[in-house]
Amino acid sequence: AAMRSRAEVDATLQTAKLNPAELLPAVHCLSFGPQAGGGECCLLQLEPGLCAELEAGHSLVIRGEKDEHAVLCSKDKTYDMKIADTSNMLLFVPGCKTPEELNADPASCNIIHSQIAGFSNNYWELRRCRPKLKKLRKLLMEDPYDGPDSQKEQTSSFSKYTTEDLLNLIQASEEEILHQLQVIDACKIEGYWRILDFDYEMKLLNHVTQLIDSESWPLSKVPLCACLEELGSLEPREMIEHILVSYGRKYVDAGEIFFEMHEDKTCRAIAQMLLQNAVKFNLSEFEEVWQQSVPEGMTTRLDQLQGLALVDKSSRPETISLLKVEDLPEDNQERFNSLFGIREKWTEVDITPYIQDLCAEKQTVGALLTKYARSSMLNGVKVYNSRRPIS
Amino acid sequence: SGGVGALAQWVLVELQGEVEPRQSGDLAGSLLGDLHYTCEGVPVLIVGHHILYGKVVQLEKPFAVLVKQGGAPQPGPAGPHGHYTVTALIKTKLLFKTRPKPIITHVPKKV
Repeated sequence: AAMRSRAEVDATLQTAKLNPAELLPAVHCLSFGPQAGGGECCLLQLEPGLCAELEAGHSLVIRGEKDEHAVLCSKDKTYDMKIADTSNMLLFVPGCKTPEELNADPASCNIIHSQIAGFSNNYWELRRCRPKLKKLRKLLMEDPYDGPDSQKEQTSSFSKYTTEDLLNLIQASEEEILHQLQVIDACKIEGYWRILDFDYEMKLLNHVTQLIDSESWPLSKVPLCACLEELGSLEPREMIEHILVSYGRKYVDAGEIFFEMHEDKTCRAIAQMLLQNAVKFNLSEFEEVWQQSVPEGMTTRLDQLQGLALVDKSSRPETISLLKVEDLPEDNQERFNSLFGIREKWTEVDITPYIQDLCAEKQTVGALLTKYARSSMLNGVKVYNSRRPIS
Repeated sequence: SGGVGALAQWVLVELQGEVEPRQSGDLAGSLLGDLHYTCEGVPVLIVGHHILYGKVVQLEKPFAVLVKQGGAPQPGPAGPHGHYTVTALIKTKLLFKTRPKPIITHVPKKV
């Protein structure tokens, strides 16, 4: 289409009975650009902070496979994406100036021919969400590492995942993924992220605790070098160091590296090892065996088992069984359905470790309970049960 | 991704209803109208036989304009899949919400 001339613009103003004296001298003649109808452009509404991130040159990534709802990831946050419809038409115009910009630049051109790059009647809205990290553990559990001598390791053709692979498959930001890898004690073996097979992990831990015992080292000062020397013939050095890093706090003293062993984490792992052998245990018997099984100098406490084991105080005798929060569904409603299927009524104290991870930014456990559960009183204690009838 | 170098700043023009070309055929290349501002900064858009008065709004939540790389089917309800590049940021919109004032062209007198 031919470009409009000043004369044509002025004629239109006259027809419209607008007084040029009341208008700024510059006019934008808007036309649709060649790509305008193509639908390749879309709008994304930015949450606070994202605009600044983009302007600083950082990337945003949309992640999700065909069967997943797409999420948007910044460097360290994850957002759900949802289409918002508007009844209006939104046109995106490059090079269109605001009155301020025109006034600030008196030499600005009299006619600005602006091409509309695209238009839409909807846009993508973002809502901050919990990173979808359950899949990370699931992927790594496809092929847990159980030592270099394992037959499985020699012949295995299972998928193994590099950092790049995980970034492509997990709906979370890079920082959230790397943090979670640390939380689950994953380690990199030959460039691939691996999770240890639990029995192998306990074998490694046992080597270390036995050595601590035989050398009479204080639990707060376990020397790395000596461990590697003594145990290096039994297991790969990287694995020995990995188990120390997983179960201890690393520090340097007089130029030497030491580890302060985590009492809670060690006791918890040993409890898991004991509990996974049966469906249910007599609580007092378990507590006795458990204390005897942990390294000398460590004290077991039931609160170390939050999110790992469930105590039934209503049965006689009282019992304890394994229930790992990471085995439960990731979706809020499914998680609650699952928990109410396991036990009809829960106290807040008992259920909290199993729903804590569902809390969104600034959301409390109380808010979740209000939303997904119904409360009642049982023997003077407040309990929560399902909102829906259990089938 | 954002990419190195300053991102272009575009403007959003929000109109009521739908935009249709006067002639049948592609919208691409056809004129929409003339956009003026009054001395007080009020945007005035002349589209066809209508005058629209609007206002300049600074967006509380700016938009990013995403352009799909390598052409692909429209984003489905499950989400946009594929690679997108951020082409521009939009921090300002010209909102035209008032009823369009029709322009009555002067009918020449019959002699």
